[in-house]
Amino acid sequence: MGTEVEKIVLAGTDDRDLTKLAEYEAVGGYKALPKARAMTPQEVTEELITSELRGRGGAFFPTGRKWSFVPSKEQIPKPHYLVVNADESEPGSFKDNEIISRVPHRFIEGCLITAHAIDSKHVFVYIRGEYSGPYEILVNALEELKDRPEIRGDVTIVVHRGAGAYICGEETALLESLEGKRGQPRSKPPFPAISGLYASPTVVNNVETITTVPPIIAMGGAEYAKLGVPNTRGTRVVSLSGNVVNGGNYEIAPGMTVRAIIDELGGGIPDGRELKAVVPGGSSTVILTKDEIDVGYDFDSLGQLKTAMGSAGIVVLDDRCCIVQLGIRFSEFYEHESCGKCTPCREGTRWLTAILRKLEDGRATQADLDLLLDVCDRINGKCLCPLGDSDAIIIASYVAKFRDEFIAHIEEGGCPFGGESSLDHVLAPIAMHTHSPVAEVPA
Amino acid sequence: MTQTATDLVTVTIDERSVQVPKGTGIVETAASAGIEIPVFCYEPRLGAPVGACRMCLVEVAGMPKLQAGCTLTAQDGMIVKTARSSELAAEGQNSTLEFILVNHPLDCPVCDKGGECPLQDLTFRYGPGNTRMTFPKRTFEKPIPISPLIALDRERCILCYRCTRFSESVAEDGQLVAINRGAQSVIATFEDEPYKGHFSGNVTELCPVGALTSTQYRFEARPWEIQNVPTVCGLCPVGCNTAATTREGKVKRIISRNHPEVDEGWLCDKGRFAFDHLHARDRITTPLRKAGPRRFEQVSWEDALDQAETLLRDGGASTVTALSGNESVEEAYALAKLMRQGLSANSAVLPEEVPDALDSYRAPLSALRDAKTIAVYCDEPVVERAPVVELWLKAARRKGATITYGAPEGPVDALVTDQPGITFGAQNVYYLPRTPNGRGVTDAWSAAGDGEPVDGKPRVVVISGDEAATDPAVRAMAAEAEIVIGIGMFQESFRGIADLVLPGTSYLERDGTTINLEGRLQRQRRAVLAPVPDVLAWLAKLAERFGVEVSPHSSVVFDEISGQCFGGISYADIGERAELPPPAARRAETLEPGSNPEPGSGIGLRLVAYRPLFSGPAVERTPELQFQRPGGDLQISRADAKARGIRHGQTVTVSSNGTSVELRAQIARDLAAGTVRVAATDAGDLHAIVEVKS
Amino acid sequence: MSLYDAIQEVRAIYPEDSESAVLPALRLAQGEYGWLSPDALREVADALETTPAYCKSVASFYDQFHLAPIGEHLVEVCTNVSCAVVGAQRVVEAFEGELGCHAGETSADGKVTLRTVECLGGCGWATIVAVDHHYRTHVKADDVPAIVQELQGVVETHGD
Ligand SMILES: Cc1cc2nc3c(=O)[nH]c(=O)nc-3n(C[C@H](O)[C@H](O)[C@H](O)COP(=O)(O)O)c2cc1C
Ligand code: SF4
Ligand code: FES
Repeated sequence: MGTEVEKIVLAGTDDRDLTKLAEYEAVGGYKALPKARAMTPQEVTEELITSELRGRGGAFFPTGRKWSFVPSKEQIPKPHYLVVNADESEPGSFKDNEIISRVPHRFIEGCLITAHAIDSKHVFVYIRGEYSGPYEILVNALEELKDRPEIRGDVTIVVHRGAGAYICGEETALLESLEGKRGQPRSKPPFPAISGLYASPTVVNNVETITTVPPIIAMGGAEYAKLGVPNTRGTRVVSLSGNVVNGGNYEIAPGMTVRAIIDELGGGIPDGRELKAVVPGGSSTVILTKDEIDVGYDFDSLGQLKTAMGSAGIVVLDDRCCIVQLGIRFSEFYEHESCGKCTPCREGTRWLTAILRKLEDGRATQADLDLLLDVCDRINGKCLCPLGDSDAIIIASYVAKFRDEFIAHIEEGGCPFGGESSLDHVLAPIAMHTHSPVAEVPA
Repeated sequence: MTQTATDLVTVTIDERSVQVPKGTGIVETAASAGIEIPVFCYEPRLGAPVGACRMCLVEVAGMPKLQAGCTLTAQDGMIVKTARSSELAAEGQNSTLEFILVNHPLDCPVCDKGGECPLQDLTFRYGPGNTRMTFPKRTFEKPIPISPLIALDRERCILCYRCTRFSESVAEDGQLVAINRGAQSVIATFEDEPYKGHFSGNVTELCPVGALTSTQYRFEARPWEIQNVPTVCGLCPVGCNTAATTREGKVKRIISRNHPEVDEGWLCDKGRFAFDHLHARDRITTPLRKAGPRRFEQVSWEDALDQAETLLRDGGASTVTALSGNESVEEAYALAKLMRQGLSANSAVLPEEVPDALDSYRAPLSALRDAKTIAVYCDEPVVERAPVVELWLKAARRKGATITYGAPEGPVDALVTDQPGITFGAQNVYYLPRTPNGRGVTDAWSAAGDGEPVDGKPRVVVISGDEAATDPAVRAMAAEAEIVIGIGMFQESFRGIADLVLPGTSYLERDGTTINLEGRLQRQRRAVLAPVPDVLAWLAKLAERFGVEVSPHSSVVFDEISGQCFGGISYADIGERAELPPPAARRAETLEPGSNPEPGSGIGLRLVAYRPLFSGPAVERTPELQFQRPGGDLQISRADAKARGIRHGQTVTVSSNGTSVELRAQIARDLAAGTVRVAATDAGDLHAIVEVKS
Repeated sequence: MSLYDAIQEVRAIYPEDSESAVLPALRLAQGEYGWLSPDALREVADALETTPAYCKSVASFYDQFHLAPIGEHLVEVCTNVSCAVVGAQRVVEAFEGELGCHAGETSADGKVTLRTVECLGGCGWATIVAVDHHYRTHVKADDVPAIVQELQGVVETHGD
């Protein structure tokens, strides 16, 4: 379909079932592993630095450099841990779901190479609890390695299931959760590389990042660094969803425009509707208007528009989408997912939802719109982790880019879509008491 | 490159430059520059800072975002601006307060915290003038009891997690937790069961708002009507430094006065809540004379002293004095002087003997936290005997200390033991006496005379204190005597055994000194007037009749013995936070190294029936504390449990010689294999060696 | 294998002094009893030698743990934006109609609990409905009656 790049992460999946060990080996699988093991850990890390691979979890941190922060066992005599972040819960992102489901062995090979690079014998894969399908596939793949000691080496891989909390994707909250606690972020420093899981040196990497490691070792870091554009090398698996004909994951060459992704890969907007806006990298990224989508899908280009690739979840919104309702729905998400540790996020996300509701219901005045922006300002930059900040940043971006629509809600005393918006009256979980309902939390 | 802890760095805070050791928290760094950074969640005693409330935001040169001062540490050349000099930081703090107040009720006029509330103060100083929040606040059923001792008003809670962090990482009792997530998070116990634990009351002091309050103190007083009298707890050998809050001559609550070497600001629930014994219904307010097998009649003081004189003269030198270990040094000395010098009655049942040689192993309790290796060699659980010591042990373990239970295999830094006079070669030895001032009482007795006891059966026994009067051994001895004179607070303790009872006072009603388990001499101050004359006052009068001079003033009594017992220190010099004298020079080894008790034979386990913390005359007279009394549990080591296939929480049968009891197994970490423990009240007729089966 | 033994088995995977087994143990208990009743939480706490309060604190943080009973089947409809803009709310309403209960509730016969959930990570295949934790993709309101029948049918063949 369309113009996908030559695949690296999902290579071989078009014509083979790579969930099977034999099939994966038939396409050269588990060949990078002995190559890596023949190298010193430092050499493997060097190779990753050369490749310019940056983390695919959202923060886009250079992977090789992250590994190089792990102190030697002489400096800190404790076990090293590799923790793979498969919590993928950012609205709009579902690439790790497909990666684990389609190339579990490439992922496992990546785990084993990375474990070697950071001198670790213990790998934990923290997979979101809802992913029963990918979980089973992964467990089966590991099962297949039971009698392949030459592959497993002396490394144990434990698949640890989450239980429904977006915040556990944040790396320190993930570690808390993996330690059997409530998934609340820790303050940094110390960073996981020094004191992570069980207060030991730990590397946390995203599923896609890890799955990219075997091809990098196989082709060489320098070769990988030739792909893509400056600051965004290799390929990216993007998740395309929303008002688009062909939703799904596509492995692309960075730099491809958002328009091309939507039109050529996604087949455009269905039902003869018009594009209105695009969320470029998961719910936490600054929105793009329909006039901004000729931007290249890479770090620098999106950065110029003050937005980001994030977790590469592209959500396409057509002209039926009320932006205030979009704000409500995402804000409800952050309110629901706020861990409750820090004050601005816990109280602020809830306040934002309330003000947005007032706007939507036609009870708001200009002063409320000012207050909305002020509350965004008061949240942003003051939270312990990026979750609360994200809500503030995206809501502020909706107002900045669609101010007329907000004003219309005030002037027309309600939603100009008159009940015809695609997000009209959507029931978010926060509106139900899914936990033991002790608190009366009025909307 | 390694940096030593003493590396100094220079930090500029609001244009003031200070030098602090590298890594010092910015809140402390600012404080050393005389600048206050407001905090809510930050409380260094709760472990590593969590950075949750965001009250302490500061601006740091070179960092784009505001930083939490509580989690940030000092690095050389750092330039920090607090709300005093940074608009951004001021805005940040104002934001935090506004967010907190979004849900906080403004019921300050009826809140117990009003007037001593950090939120009130900080709102006044940094907060928004009015609220812009127009939607309803969270509402909860309020207040709810989380135990008979503590009420929780969830609407006032600002979710700083101080209380839950205390429960999780100081007391480690896992009882008080946060449930739910985000804005729906609330503080709770499990299924509204009471917060049971030895230290629960500390959360009422940790809570920075009026969310967790003491049920005893609710609506009892306003901060400007009260007086806080600095004193020392008299209920166990730790001697935590406390303040008794009084209003109109009554004790309303006990709070901590944080002696960093003794208690670090923590109190056990007995020390905090048992003051209700002052108002017990059976409190003795006048002298009493036996008027029937279980009946007393009141007598006048003049008659009582006359009768006491007659009885004592009758008893003469064979009279035995049983002391409880709860007396002040001065009370014990005055009584001892009367008995030994006035009657030559040199025979005493002392609460316990503490070898003086232990003085050369002396160290502050806080040193326990810094020990690398610790042996705990105790039959009774440490927490039941000297509760705060358990918190020091937990702190040491969190800091990485290796703690062994039972006899250590090699040398250790510190030993905690309930056996006097053993060391296991440790540098620091913490002997846990059974009574709050046993050592002081023993010293006082020795200081009052050196005559030898006479042989023979005593005709008269003097029992000092309710604890002695309720001790089975003392009661057995009293039952043999013809005459029993009691000194105590509660009728029940003496009913049926005493012929004459003279009213005693509580440690909260007296001036005097005590010696705690470290060997630290501390001063208790009279928080309230007793409903009866001071013990020293009438002892002085009684002593006069025997030609013995005793001052009614504790300071004078103290001066009389200070030279002999306390190196001549003056009463005034003891101070509000007493210092620990340095360890005495180590003389020739007079203490035993110690060895493990004989293990039970075969499948038998050694049974220890311990005296629970929540027991005794003061606790029995505090209704709110009754739920804390233990019952039904058997503590068993992991190894013993495993060998018998016993699971944590399972009902087990404990039996010996034909009797058996059903108890709930608790796998205890602080127990050496071979021994099991039950509260004395659960021991029934069990023998010293028991069998345990699932 | 008893719940206790299963918990000990999972506990052995993690370092001895860690609480890491709490989440897997809660999952096992929920699998056994359908929800985490106070007694189930006590059982987990005893097996892990921790407190029931701690277990509840952890369980209540995560959306997938049920602290109140649920029906024999669980239907979870994602209503986050990607699903919502292509009709998730109509799917929810179709379920509500078929089951005769609101989202957040259980059908009167106790068979199906319906709830809306946050993004399930299948956005490109919207609307995602997790039926007993297995994803159905591209679900339309029209598909709902068949799903409900299937659930009821499955219940019938089980007989009890
Ligand atoms: C609220 C929040 C949610 C996150 N969720 C995820 C996630 O689901 N998966 C992920 O890989 N990274 C997630 N991250 C980013 C991680 O914190 C971390 O940066 C990443 O796992 C590092 O891996 P990488 O370097 O390979 O990208 C999240 C971050 C935040 C703040
Ligand atoms: S920003 Fe939100 S999710 Fe992050 S620590 Fe604060 S409360 Fe928790
Ligand atoms: S005091 Fe620093 S965040 Fe609470």
